Amino acid sequence: MSTAGGAATPSGVIAPEGTATRVDPGPDRAQYGLAAVLAVIGAWTVVDSAGLGPGFADQAVRPAAFGYVIGSALVLLAVLLAVATARGDRAEGEAGEDVDLDRGTDWRTLAGLAGVLVATVALIDWLGWAVVGALLFAGAATVLGNRHWVRNLLIGAVLSVASWYGFYVGLGIPIPPGVLDGVL
Amino acid sequence: MTVVVGWTADARGRAALVQGAHVARLRGQELVVVNATTGTAVVDDRFAGASALEEVRRLLASLGVDAEVRQPVVRDVTEALLEVADEVRATVLVIGLRHRSPVGKLIMGSTAQRILLDARCPVLAVKAEEPAR
Amino acid sequence: MEALLEGLGMALQPENLVYAVVGVLLGTAVGVLPGIGPAMTVALLLPVTYNVSPSAALIMFAGIYYGGMYGGSTTSILLNTPGESSSVITALEGNKMAKTGRAAQALATAAIGSFVAGTISTVLLVALAPTVAEWVVVLGAPSYFALMVLALIAVTSVLGSSKLRGFISLALGLTIGLVGTATGQARLTFDNPLLADGIDIVVVAVAIFAVGEALWVAAHLRRRPLEVIPVGRPWMDREDWRRSWKPWLRGTAFGFPFGALPAGGAEMPTFLSYITERRLAGRHRAEFGKGAIEGVAGPEAANNASAAGTLVPLLAIGLPTTATAAVILAAMQGYGLQPGPQLFEAEPELVWTLLGSLFVANTLLLVINLPMAPLWARLLRIPRPYLYAGILFFAVLGAYSVNFQWFDVALLGLFGALGFAMRRFGLPVLPLIVGVILGPRLEEQLGQALQLSQGDVSALWGEPVAVVVYVVIAALLLGPLVLRLIPGRQEPEQLEDEIGALEDEVRS
Repeated sequence: MSTAGGAATPSGVIAPEGTATRVDPGPDRAQYGLAAVLAVIGAWTVVDSAGLGPGFADQAVRPAAFGYVIGSALVLLAVLLAVATARGDRAEGEAGEDVDLDRGTDWRTLAGLAGVLVATVALIDWLGWAVVGALLFAGAATVLGNRHWVRNLLIGAVLSVASWYGFYVGLGIPIPPGVLDGVL
Repeated sequence: MTVVVGWTADARGRAALVQGAHVARLRGQELVVVNATTGTAVVDDRFAGASALEEVRRLLASLGVDAEVRQPVVRDVTEALLEVADEVRATVLVIGLRHRSPVGKLIMGSTAQRILLDARCPVLAVKAEEPAR
Repeated sequence: MEALLEGLGMALQPENLVYAVVGVLLGTAVGVLPGIGPAMTVALLLPVTYNVSPSAALIMFAGIYYGGMYGGSTTSILLNTPGESSSVITALEGNKMAKTGRAAQALATAAIGSFVAGTISTVLLVALAPTVAEWVVVLGAPSYFALMVLALIAVTSVLGSSKLRGFISLALGLTIGLVGTATGQARLTFDNPLLADGIDIVVVAVAIFAVGEALWVAAHLRRRPLEVIPVGRPWMDREDWRRSWKPWLRGTAFGFPFGALPAGGAEMPTFLSYITERRLAGRHRAEFGKGAIEGVAGPEAANNASAAGTLVPLLAIGLPTTATAAVILAAMQGYGLQPGPQLFEAEPELVWTLLGSLFVANTLLLVINLPMAPLWARLLRIPRPYLYAGILFFAVLGAYSVNFQWFDVALLGLFGALGFAMRRFGLPVLPLIVGVILGPRLEEQLGQALQLSQGDVSALWGEPVAVVVYVVIAALLLGPLVLRLIPGRQEPEQLEDEIGALEDEVRS
């Protein structure tokens, strides 16, 4: 691994990197993508509404009515967004208490987390919460930058088994045990 | 030809820093102080703030050593330190050690151990003065 | 009055007291931790609380809400990281005070001010909410429909910097609310039987607030650690008390009405309180910008008072005006409770226990938290990998426990991605959540109104209240345009600019 996440700054200079890229960045291309997605969702909502029946006799508002209104509103908003983007409108990312927008987006970490979530979805019905929960915690913590994966797994296992019992016994929510049926 | 110190803003970091400064002065070499952090916690006690930084500068000045202090935010503190050592072609890398119980070693892993194994230059390991038990 | 005493008695019962303590501690903790707020916490707790009694859960949520407001001030003062817009102003003077060695006094005036403001506002809430409920209960479906439209428009167009983005978010929320077979026909279900019951609000809330935020922070994970200012036990001397009590009261007077109005928010009143205090500071005026205690006392009181104020429309009309209130509303619906005027008639015991517990939560905050400030600051050393892995863990657990199906977890991931995208593109979260919650109810009320009038659309403006509400909506939408056309009358923009300038000042 090279100097990902910030190269060595000379003699303790306290300034985040990447601030210099703010000079006329041109239109926010990604926003066109957002507009396209909105338009697709809106169009689909309208199409879906068109396929609905007239509804019951006592329904004063036809089931399709809201779909038409909301769907066309979405399409309209998508167009407005595209126009605004072309005129130089830029999205301002949400600057939370814990987010430093001056640093670029860390796609590697994001991709790792997405992978962990997809694996969770794929395995949860088969392996059950106690196993998948532990893997989820350990995987997420490791991807987020904690290298001690043995410790992460231990914490994850404790958390997931404890939460399983907590839900099953304490709250009366019977989470299926999965492969650990009979063990837990 | 440079002496590199892995510095943390605590007792063992200070021990390493003082030792490193002495070595650098004896050899007449430059000193690079590396205070790296992963930046994953809002507050990192081992990462020096303005006041700790000022204190270190004063300490180094009083020892008569001209030093460069680096504070990179990195993915992995150990690797960052080794990279700096490579970059400035360190003649010696000074690190601080702390006492670890056997269980602690097993669970936590050891930064010092990885440095000892992976460094391409001599490593000088210093222990912090421990309070008498 | 009698009902309130009874409610207080209920709130002081051991079981309820435990929930209040848990809520207050949890709320303060998440308020202190950057990136995690009360809305996310309440959302994560939704699945857990389905098997707890409604009053216990609501007591806990109220504690989290109040505690979160309080915890936010701690970080503003000790770290100078104003995350939520409502605590920007607190950081302005509070952090300066901390840097000059007066952190203990800043924390104390924030805590005691929050207590004073919270208590006064809760009294106002108790006096006001039942009255409003009585007034609303006689309203027919047309007026109710109009009120809901007002709430949607207000949260969308008044808050946030870009109205276009607000409406995009609202439309997305309404679209999510369409999914399901509530109307007797399958809308947007893609013929998937798992979507027939609609998308569970728990899954949407957890995904948007918790998963979306976790992904967003993960994408900007590394940053220079901050220096936390060490602090002992908060305390104030006589002079501090003398300088604080008036700002507390004035802050309360600003905060409560703004909170009670739809979409008043906490940002405006804290700002107004700050400039008022600066104007009235007299010989202490020179201290402003260098750590004036009035500049902490007033805004902190204002932001807590506005939190109590938002409970008026929530309880009396069933309209949420903040993210946390929206999630609490979702919780109430999960219990089959219909917030609004009916609630006071159908569940008086629950309502009064909740109101009583607000006093208890407020007192607990003061008693527990004043000595614990140094301890709270230690929470900031928790590494983000564990924090956010834990959030993802509980988010998945919550979504899975709804139906024990992988499908809900997949939906969680999908809406989590949406939550991430919204943060990336600056789309506000609140209109989406309010849209998901109010959309189906809006449709229901419209149906009722038109059914009674047998399809005559003019019935929608047949009630005087409805007409008034539509006028207000028109004013909200067109007001800014008209103001811009009149030369020399640009106060709202001016105010916004000033807030922006202040925020820049704090962040630099």
